[in-house]
Amino acid sequence: MHSLYLFNIASQHNNWLSTRQTLLASNIANANTPGYKSVDLQPFEKALESAKLQMAATEVGHLKTDPTSAMTDTTAGRSASWEIYHSGNNVSLEQELMKTGEVSRAYTLNTNIMKSFHRMLAMTAKGG
Amino acid sequence: MYDPLQLSLKVAASGLEAQGHRVRVVSENLANHDSTGNTPGAVPYTRKTISFKTALDHAAQANLVHVDQIGHDNSPYPLEFNPSHPAADAKGYVKRPNVNMLVELADMREANRSYEANLQVIKQARELISLTIDLLRSN
Repeated sequence: MHSLYLFNIASQHNNWLSTRQTLLASNIANANTPGYKSVDLQPFEKALESAKLQMAATEVGHLKTDPTSAMTDTTAGRSASWEIYHSGNNVSLEQELMKTGEVSRAYTLNTNIMKSFHRMLAMTAKGG
Repeated sequence: MYDPLQLSLKVAASGLEAQGHRVRVVSENLANHDSTGNTPGAVPYTRKTISFKTALDHAAQANLVHVDQIGHDNSPYPLEFNPSHPAADAKGYVKRPNVNMLVELADMREANRSYEANLQVIKQARELISLTIDLLRSN
């Protein structure tokens, strides 16, 4: 069932978006903190590529890898900011609010796709 | 592990609180704009300053914001010649509070703007949460 992969990817994307929303919230909350540098996640495509399957730890010495860690890697980089203040803070409120708008738009799109896909599945199950 | 969306509500709330403290400090400064002493040569009201710091919430891995410290502005007090004032010194000068109304009003504007931005984040996070819940709604 390849098509059902859509639910997985949509929920992964939503997960990424909510983590991004948290980071944007902390950027905005710290908009007046001296020395604070704004943070952002790496793009979803990249996060998806670097998310690997987890190998089973069958020996004591085996290292555990967390496949979700790439999704929530907050050190993924200082975002390129529009402005920098004398206090060393580089949060631009306009930019951050624009990004939250992006998050909101993508989230709405995802949930609506999931909803309509679910309706299609339910319709198929009911058999018209 | 926190839900990231609820966490962003928490972060934005910490921002609201910090900006609220800032408005409080500004209003104290504005209210005491004319508070001189009442004994000769007395020190008037000293302007208060506020600074913020990032606080990492270790359990949740998020950057909250807290009030760092409320300090005092140690710039000199402006002098006003008014010999009849109870706080006038031997030469007739009164020390006035070192509060600059324009600076305070500009600070209030900035606090206002940051407060609004945090409110916007809360609004948006709530919207995202309800979008997720709406997936359960039969249509």
